[in-house]
Amino acid sequence: MTTQVPGDSLVSLTAVNKHYGQLHVLKDINLNVRKGEVVVVIGPSGSGKSTLCRAINRLETIEDGTISIDGKVLPSEGKELAQLRADVGMVFQSFNLFAHKTILENVTLGPIKVKGVAKTTADKDAMALLERVGVGHQAPKLPAQLSGGQQQRVAIARALAMKPKVMLFDEPTSALDPEMINEVLDVMVQLAKEGMTMIVVTHEMGFARKAADRVVFMADGQIVEDATPEEFFTNPKSDRAKDFLSKLLTH
Amino acid sequence: MDVIIESLPLYWEGFLRTLFLSAVSGVIALVLGTLLAAARVSPVAALRGFSTVYVEILRNTPLTIAFFFAAIVLPRLGVQFAQFEVAAIIALSSYTAAFIAEAVRSGVNSVPVGQAEAARSIGMNFGQVLNLIILPQALRTVIPPLINILIALVKNSSVAGAFFVLELFGYGRQLANANGDQVITVLLGTAFFYLLLTVPLGILASTVERKVAIAR
Repeated sequence: MTTQVPGDSLVSLTAVNKHYGQLHVLKDINLNVRKGEVVVVIGPSGSGKSTLCRAINRLETIEDGTISIDGKVLPSEGKELAQLRADVGMVFQSFNLFAHKTILENVTLGPIKVKGVAKTTADKDAMALLERVGVGHQAPKLPAQLSGGQQQRVAIARALAMKPKVMLFDEPTSALDPEMINEVLDVMVQLAKEGMTMIVVTHEMGFARKAADRVVFMADGQIVEDATPEEFFTNPKSDRAKDFLSKLLTH
Repeated sequence: MDVIIESLPLYWEGFLRTLFLSAVSGVIALVLGTLLAAARVSPVAALRGFSTVYVEILRNTPLTIAFFFAAIVLPRLGVQFAQFEVAAIIALSSYTAAFIAEAVRSGVNSVPVGQAEAARSIGMNFGQVLNLIILPQALRTVIPPLINILIALVKNSSVAGAFFVLELFGYGRQLANANGDQVITVLLGTAFFYLLLTVPLGILASTVERKVAIAR
């Protein structure tokens, strides 16, 4: 069911497989994401969508197949891998802000240590990013002093500070209280509008409808559907997707 | 009591040598132990193996054997020391490093894995992840066990007394032999000087612990 997009794909997965022991968690995954495209990955829990997202910057290893980013095959170790990761922004479910660093330091650490940007420049850029996600006034605080929604927005700023080619979001709102979900989604919608290439694993169907160019539906480690949001939500083809959507709509 | 007051210069000399042995061995052990812990969590299998074998051997054999090795076996293999202190420092620091490595490793494991993942995902290499993100956070949980290990080091340094190094316990033993009628007083004096070293370490531990406590 996967639509192979020819041409300038930024993220490209070809025949990717992964097992956790007996569990075949990624089954022959093929996926191409073009520059500027926003792809939302949805599916029931345990379907492998988080693993897929984490495999793209090799936080999860894969057994076979290839993953390439902007034409370069993801290396397995070392300096080349670190360099490639610097081009791939990642936002985690549990924020993972550096607990011993201030909000500002969280955002400047990557540019200063990985890219060798001067501290004054990094500070200035970081403040601009923090203002953009609406937490500029929190800069001198430690992560634990911020609400979940604020922490997640800082995490987005931290990833953006590396000027990534693509942003990965691994269930960015799943650990948030309901009233904080929108403040994070607003930032993500804004980012999508500005043309950032994004792969978003989420349960927020509203976001998928609003901001996605494509919806990828995963179940049991496979990509079952790959369609536009309109097509997917109004006219899902597989029984698996129909079943999933019907469960969402009943509540 | 007179014997303590009369022997104060000897006690003092022993105290200073114990302080010297503990401080030098402590610093070496902290550096070596941290390197061993880093090796233990590194992606290089050979380093992990070396660190594991080192820690298991040194941690599971008596300190006396480390001393025998440093003071008697090493010179026979052609390693000559100008003073036996050097042998004592080698024995104490290599032995203590094994315990420090284990404490630091447990501290590293106490830092949530997401911290390392976030650091890797912004392009940091192994060394940067460890030095900038993991170790600074690990240090906070590791300080109480580290101070325990250093207190044990101060006390373990008394073994050097049996290997030709006159430190606090060595002098204490000399004094006890010379004052057969006041052995208890002499030993109490010795114990007092050990407390002079170890109690402040304990106080330091609780102060530092309070200062570096971190909210999650």
